[in-house]
Amino acid sequence: MMLLDFTVMEGVQVAWLAPAACILAFVLIVSLRMFDSKIGSVISIVAIASGFAIFLYVFGQFNESGPAEFAREWFTIGSTKITLGMAIDQLSVVMLGVITFVALLVQIYSVSYMEEESRFGWYFGVHSLFAASMLILVLANNLLLLYVAWELVGLCSYLLIGFWYEKRSASEAAKKAFITTRIGDVGLLIGIILLYRTAGTFDTSTIIHIAQEGGFADSTLMAAVLLIFLGAMGKSAQFPLHVWLPDAMEGPTPVSALIHAATMVVAGIYLVARIFPLFEVADPSLTVVAVVGLSTAVIAASIALVMTDLKKILAYSTVSHLGFMMLALGSGAYVVAMFHLFTHAFAKALLFLSAGSVDHGTGGKRDIRQLGGLRKKMPITFVTFSIGALALAGVPPLGGFFSKDEIMMAVMDGRHPVFFLIAIIAAFMSSVYMIRALILVFFGDLKPENQEAHESPALITAPLLILAGISLVAGLVLSGWQDFFNAKHHDINFLVLALSLLASLGGLFLGWAIYSKEWISSRDVAAKFGDLEKYASNGYYLDVGYQWCIDRIVLVVARIVSLFDRIVVNDVAVNGTGYSVFLSGFKLRYVETGKVYNYALAMVVGILVVGLTIYWGLI
Amino acid sequence: MDNYLLISLILLPALAAIMVAFVPRQRLFEIRAISGIVAFALFVLSAYSFINYDNEVGGYQFTRDYAWLDALGIQLSMGIDGISTTMVLLTGIVSFTAVLISWNIEHRAKDFFVLFLLLVAGVYGVFVSLDLFFFFFFYELAVLPMYLLIGVWGSSSDFVTFIRNKEYGALKLMLYLVAGSILVWVALLAVYVEGDMNSFSLLKLQDAEFSEDFQRLYFPMFMVGFGVLAGLWPFHTWSPDGHVAAPTSVSMLHAGVLMKLGAYGIIRIGVDLLPQGAEYWMPLLMILGTINVVYGAVSALSQTDLKYVIGYSSVSHMGYVFMGLATLNATGMGGAVLQMFSHGIMTALFFALVGVIYDRSHVRDIGILEGLAKRMGWTASFFAIAGLASLGLPGLSGFVAEVLVFIGTFKDYPIFGVLGIIGAAITAVYILRLLGKVFFGPISEDWKTLPDASNVEKFSAGILVLFLLVVGLYPKPWMDLINTGLSPLIERVAGL
Repeated sequence: MMLLDFTVMEGVQVAWLAPAACILAFVLIVSLRMFDSKIGSVISIVAIASGFAIFLYVFGQFNESGPAEFAREWFTIGSTKITLGMAIDQLSVVMLGVITFVALLVQIYSVSYMEEESRFGWYFGVHSLFAASMLILVLANNLLLLYVAWELVGLCSYLLIGFWYEKRSASEAAKKAFITTRIGDVGLLIGIILLYRTAGTFDTSTIIHIAQEGGFADSTLMAAVLLIFLGAMGKSAQFPLHVWLPDAMEGPTPVSALIHAATMVVAGIYLVARIFPLFEVADPSLTVVAVVGLSTAVIAASIALVMTDLKKILAYSTVSHLGFMMLALGSGAYVVAMFHLFTHAFAKALLFLSAGSVDHGTGGKRDIRQLGGLRKKMPITFVTFSIGALALAGVPPLGGFFSKDEIMMAVMDGRHPVFFLIAIIAAFMSSVYMIRALILVFFGDLKPENQEAHESPALITAPLLILAGISLVAGLVLSGWQDFFNAKHHDINFLVLALSLLASLGGLFLGWAIYSKEWISSRDVAAKFGDLEKYASNGYYLDVGYQWCIDRIVLVVARIVSLFDRIVVNDVAVNGTGYSVFLSGFKLRYVETGKVYNYALAMVVGILVVGLTIYWGLI
Repeated sequence: MDNYLLISLILLPALAAIMVAFVPRQRLFEIRAISGIVAFALFVLSAYSFINYDNEVGGYQFTRDYAWLDALGIQLSMGIDGISTTMVLLTGIVSFTAVLISWNIEHRAKDFFVLFLLLVAGVYGVFVSLDLFFFFFFYELAVLPMYLLIGVWGSSSDFVTFIRNKEYGALKLMLYLVAGSILVWVALLAVYVEGDMNSFSLLKLQDAEFSEDFQRLYFPMFMVGFGVLAGLWPFHTWSPDGHVAAPTSVSMLHAGVLMKLGAYGIIRIGVDLLPQGAEYWMPLLMILGTINVVYGAVSALSQTDLKYVIGYSSVSHMGYVFMGLATLNATGMGGAVLQMFSHGIMTALFFALVGVIYDRSHVRDIGILEGLAKRMGWTASFFAIAGLASLGLPGLSGFVAEVLVFIGTFKDYPIFGVLGIIGAAITAVYILRLLGKVFFGPISEDWKTLPDASNVEKFSAGILVLFLLVVGLYPKPWMDLINTGLSPLIERVAGL
């Protein structure tokens, strides 16, 4: 409401129109009750397309005029003034572009993919709200507004993951996503308020300034930064809070593409990058970030190796790559982390949308053991999926190669070599699971039941081709990217480059040897790892553990508290008092005939007791 | 008109009650029409006072005094400041929507509306009185009809392991509230005597300069006495049981407005008259309020009856009001007052919708209800919005209120702030569990024929949803009002 101020219509300030357009689309769809209407998709796509156009304009203006920030009052209470405002800088401009572009393609794709669904208009309405929240999140110039958008992103993912709410599994997955991220959000909100407590403002740049001047007590800043990181771990699915992301596959596939690529999970990465100077000041906190990122990268990659559901492979792959991004942040290279976010966004959107195309073409099959040989039936999807897979595996000259290599160099520079070695192993696994998925789905013999498989319509393949094109060339922008962020160019470290290439290609070769040529039996390999394989297939029993905690601890405590409430507080204390009054009173058996007596007596007794107490008290 | 605004807020419902009493009981339409028109008029008048209160001038406005018993210094003195104006608006909204929801009551409808209107008159009376005697008089007027409303129109439940019949719920509620009232009355008389001005006037007594010992002795009586009505732990058990027994519209008014009377009393009389006492005892209120939040939320987690979940959620949410008040700073108290408004709207919406579901299915057990969203789209959407407001989702009123309470709490009590935020996360768990069980999943055979909310119910719930959204997105008008009301109070506390 306050933001609809048409006086700020020049230069980069028009950026606010992007989320505003998306919110307008949501409001239109909901208020005109176009829940089943096809027009909903038109409104939504027009909104996000204009969002992208606004990005192009803002990008042009930004290169001329540089960063800008503006804010206006939301409300004031006492001395607390809460503002709504936006900051346009390198980070937010880049995110503005990635979000509007990926969301636009996903929405176009959805028109065909979701064609036969009921609540078609509602689906697009929530998409619009999702895009709007994410845009506000990246544009926000203060942490409270960021938190507001952060929670709205959570809501939208809840609504979209639970889109098929009649399915018990979908509604459970939605709930799990919301609650798991909410656990992180507890930390985020506490952290933000802790910063406010000292700084007296939510304004991000002011807080950073104060921190750099040493205005925070060390312990406060450390606590605040780590708590905020907890929020980032929840949203960006870092171990051990990643459990919601694989389950989020219950939502429609385009939703997964959106969540995994351009929204939701990158919010945490963005948040850490946004307040990166705070992490630098509270130095040891970056080590925490690096360790969490690294363990996430390895653990998730090992799970992705043994999954059989195509979407779950991709989901764990996302978790793993988010770990890489965190690792880059933890190694002090936020520009590199953002670059990986950028290349990964396109590659992952491409993979999910291709997986959706497979799903669409084969009548809903996602288990890679039931697929195979689809390359002839679905040539476009095959090509696009391969590009996405190779990009993620880090094969030159695809985008993923450059960003991964940059990360490896940053780790080598900023961290102990052990970090680097483990990261190389994770990258190696990344190659193996991508080639495994590619081979098992598209190569080999076509299963008889898949004879009917067919390529998807143009509305689906067009976004695939566009994303594939971008993934092919994304690496070329690297040097421009570094200039844009004013980051220094690394000298090429050939050892790192060689090891990183070896990991990618070695992984591909091994995967090819196992799954295509079958020189090595995958069963033998699995047997080598013994129980580890079993643990990995079950996500290291984290879900089981959490469920146990919920059933055996949380719910038991809840039951004890409510029994305590009924039996101790109510039945003993309340009824007991009543009952003893009943016993000591002599004519109270008439209570059966008229409760007013009871009331009157209680009142008189009460007045006497209290009156006497006060009387004595006064003396 | 401004001269008669506040008196008409009291007289309109009171006169309407008398009018309804003279209508033959078969004339259902006339009974409903009178109640409906009066409730709507009250809604308009409340909105008028909200819009026309002048923030620049501040203080008590629309004041009017009527002499009554000069010998004892009692006069009907009325006026509203920023805080009471907010509460007046809340009362207008909730009582109007509650009358709409009870439109179809047929069992002794006449008696129901007479009592209901009296209750509304009492509530308005409390919020506009500036005379302690009349404050208490209206306070009792608001509480007493509750007994009959629950006892006659309520419902009894058999929960297998224990039984709660409506008479038990009504009696317990009554005894509790009366016990609280006694504490308040004693403390009020003490203030009257100690003030030694032969006056019950709140404004005069503010200047009485009570001794510190006196303040410390009597503040807890206000705190606990009023606290009982606001659901202060451990005096809260009347509340869930009372809600379970009460009919829909009574639950709405009860949780929506009556519980706020208690919190309002703590601010208006406790803090305003006895600021030093308040300062001395506030740490205790902070502890109890935090227990309210966490204990209420954890209890709600394991409830299986819809009304118990909402009932315990009210206990939990009122905890934020106590926490905010206990901070004694503008941010926290502002959050507390906004939370009173926000929770009033939200919980009225909850109970209205539970009523809609119960009305059609005759079930409130969340283990049995399943997949209702398929058949009851409107009800499910509204319920989800109420739930999201309850778990503090930004964009809805609960967030603004709660975040202010947290900010205020962190100033002096960071640990309690942390616990409060954790409480909000537990709220998310029980709300989403409730939504998931009752509305999502496959719809079972039993519920495939349930009709959705009627137009009147949709209209009524829609008004409440509208306010949740407006306050959530554009809280400025509310915050400005609350600010004006709080600043003299904060100054008095700070000026010690």
